[in-house]
Amino acid sequence: MNVSERPAEPAIVERLRHRFGGSSDFIVRLIQEGPKDRCQYAVCYIDGLVDKNLLAFLLEAVVAEAREGAGMTQDLARSLTSRIPVGSLTAPESEEALVHAILNGEAVIVGNELTFELSVAIPGGPSRAVEEPSSQTVVRGPKDGFTENLADNVSLVRRRLRTPDLRIENRVLGRYTRTKIAVFYIEGIVQPVILEELGRRLDAIDIDGILESGYIEEFIQDTSWTPFPTIQNTERPDTVAGHLLEGHAAILVDGTPFALILPVTFFKFFLSSEDYYQRHDIASFVRMIRFIAFFVSLLLPSLYIAVTTFQQEMIPTTMLISLAAQREGVPLPALLEALLMELTFEVIREAGIRMPRVIGPAISIVGALVLGQAAVQAGLVSGAMVIIVSFTAIASFVIPALGMSAAIRLMRFLLMVLAGSFGLFGVLAGMIPLLLHLVALRSFGVPYLLPIAPLKWMNFKDLFYRLPWRTLTERPAVIGSRNPRRQPRRGPKREGTRK
Amino acid sequence: MDNQTKNPAGLIACLALYEIGSTTLFLLAAEAKQDAWIAMTIASLVGFFLLSVYLAMHRLDPERDLFALCRAYLGKWIGTAIGWSFVGYFAYESSRNLRDLVELTSQILLNDTPLFVIALITIVVVANTARYGARVLFLCSLVLFPFVVVGYLLLVVMLAGQHLIHAVSLLPVLENGWQPIFKAAFPSLVSFPFGQTILFLVFFPLVRSRAPGFTRSVYLTYGGVSIFLIAMNELILFVLGQSIAEKVTFPLLESVQLIEFSQVFERMDILFVFVLYLGLGVKLAAFYIGAATGFSQLTGIGYRKGVFVLGAAIFGISFLSPNYTHHIWMGKVVTSWFTIFQIALPLLLFMVMKIDGGKKSSGRG
Repeated sequence: MNVSERPAEPAIVERLRHRFGGSSDFIVRLIQEGPKDRCQYAVCYIDGLVDKNLLAFLLEAVVAEAREGAGMTQDLARSLTSRIPVGSLTAPESEEALVHAILNGEAVIVGNELTFELSVAIPGGPSRAVEEPSSQTVVRGPKDGFTENLADNVSLVRRRLRTPDLRIENRVLGRYTRTKIAVFYIEGIVQPVILEELGRRLDAIDIDGILESGYIEEFIQDTSWTPFPTIQNTERPDTVAGHLLEGHAAILVDGTPFALILPVTFFKFFLSSEDYYQRHDIASFVRMIRFIAFFVSLLLPSLYIAVTTFQQEMIPTTMLISLAAQREGVPLPALLEALLMELTFEVIREAGIRMPRVIGPAISIVGALVLGQAAVQAGLVSGAMVIIVSFTAIASFVIPALGMSAAIRLMRFLLMVLAGSFGLFGVLAGMIPLLLHLVALRSFGVPYLLPIAPLKWMNFKDLFYRLPWRTLTERPAVIGSRNPRRQPRRGPKREGTRK
Repeated sequence: MDNQTKNPAGLIACLALYEIGSTTLFLLAAEAKQDAWIAMTIASLVGFFLLSVYLAMHRLDPERDLFALCRAYLGKWIGTAIGWSFVGYFAYESSRNLRDLVELTSQILLNDTPLFVIALITIVVVANTARYGARVLFLCSLVLFPFVVVGYLLLVVMLAGQHLIHAVSLLPVLENGWQPIFKAAFPSLVSFPFGQTILFLVFFPLVRSRAPGFTRSVYLTYGGVSIFLIAMNELILFVLGQSIAEKVTFPLLESVQLIEFSQVFERMDILFVFVLYLGLGVKLAAFYIGAATGFSQLTGIGYRKGVFVLGAAIFGISFLSPNYTHHIWMGKVVTSWFTIFQIALPLLLFMVMKIDGGKKSSGRG
């Protein structure tokens, strides 16, 4: 491959070799063809970042060019463009730009007689196919999910929003990772204030590496001192598209299937994209279930502890007797019993996520039989407590957003301790600061509890319930109020419904 | 997007919860017996007049709150002194609410917990509320308001559904003439709860009060809440009867306790305590914030530090009474003094503002 007798490589190649420190994946392909080896070109690229097929095309074109011996740089550029079916052609101006071009999956053509370097974008390399998202599944709705490849993800969103108003702004973050990130928004719908603020916050990021969108989320969120997520993440391109249409902005990060959506309010975390695909009455019912599950997941163990420890008089007599009978012989107070069970559940849950897939059934047997049934039979915990903890756990999975259910889990433990110490009064003493925290929280300047505090009646059309699409004539207020009209408002009578 | 929090809706909700506050905890106008509703109506009309005076003062100079108004129109020295007296008044009202809440908790929920522990938890929670400032309290009231409404609605429906309401105790009207009615109405009923809207002179400048319909919605809220309070007071009398209602500590809770629903929901009073807490807590926090605002304005100390100082003060003052009976007796004694803050001083200030003719008003219109 390499022709060793001639030291006539272009000078820049030597410098590039030096820059990459002889890395094994930095490839220099020398092309010496024609009479007296007059034309000497070198194609530099990183193996693994370029597409092999396109590279073959490119090399073929360069070889042919060299063989014909035109030698004129303009002609090379012209014939290359005509020969290579895809890929954009640029001329990096500095050596640094050249290095970055190579690292971005471009092949750089340099030559002794070329006055400038040519860079051809032929990115490639291994990537996963588009699959169904694993973290947010739907029964009805599109089944494609983001992958780790930014270009694929961009096309998934663009395919849903075929409008020139969809704007995609690229940035590179991370001094070492040089991660490509893309900010999505729809011009004319998104609030410029939000974009400005987002730009400012992204500009402030200066870190060695961005490996996942979670890094960016932590850097740009309004405050780190809250368990509640103020930026939503999703694997679903349809969720991103839906939010863009409502005036949100989205950030896609190369190397992760999780896109960020912002600004976002508390109630957004209880919505699933499927709500908009299903019939409105079914969707509304499911939403109510989710809000109930929220309260169950947050409060059920602490209410149980408070009532059984402090306010037994609230329990109907027959139930009180059966509860007392169950707790007979249980050595621990209700608070410790509940904390123990909740912690056990958290351990099982974490084990279920981290362990190798093949061990899965073993954990479920140990978890369900040994820790559940056997613990009750041994008299370590009461049966009622097992029911409470399991139902709480299941309820916490009803909430579509993982970040939100994680926040609720944390709060649950605090409330349990308060309930165990001060009963229902303690629960209230915990809930009020929680509420205040939520009320004061902002996501990119948007109040977190919108539309309840501050009140926006219009947004109630699509909140605890979803009204039929026909009636959702306006985008949600505040975030989407720059361009409120979603569809023309219809009169009370509809045409074509009656024959 | 910051103007979202200047929406007056939160203030309206806060006003409603504030007026409900601890009022439903007690039987009002017990001296007037079956004519309590007449006494309350008269008192609420006087309160309405006072509210209109407060609103007129606010409209004369919409940029300044109560403390700034005092200093701008009454001169630096007198204004500061009166400002301090308002801080003291608000702090005292706040401490009274704290004591009410603590006694309620101790008697219904936590019988064995020492009072000061309950008071400490409460003051920490409320100080945390005050730390966020009035606007967050308004927004918070918006969230809590539906719970309170649903709570009282359920209460009425259940009492009615179990045939516990006996509307016979209204008659005879004016059995003892007008005298006991006026005795009940003035000054105690006017100053508690109807005249307490003076606090909102601190809060009006925080919202877009020039929004159309603001004044009307304040009046409507006040009127609605007044009718509600009169109705609740009558409800207690209808359920318990005059003689029992006068004697029990928390007559409303006593009537709730009568509800027994298919042997599943018993002791509803424990749940209903939480509805009371929301009103009490909002009122306590509102007075606290009012006092802290004044404190930081008059001393120049930062608001957050003021919250801390006042928290300690309110916590201390709430233990002035050695027991609950003394606390209630004190309440009856001090209410006549409160007319100074609710009627005398505001009217004085209003007259000075009128004479001044808005000369000192800052950037109006």
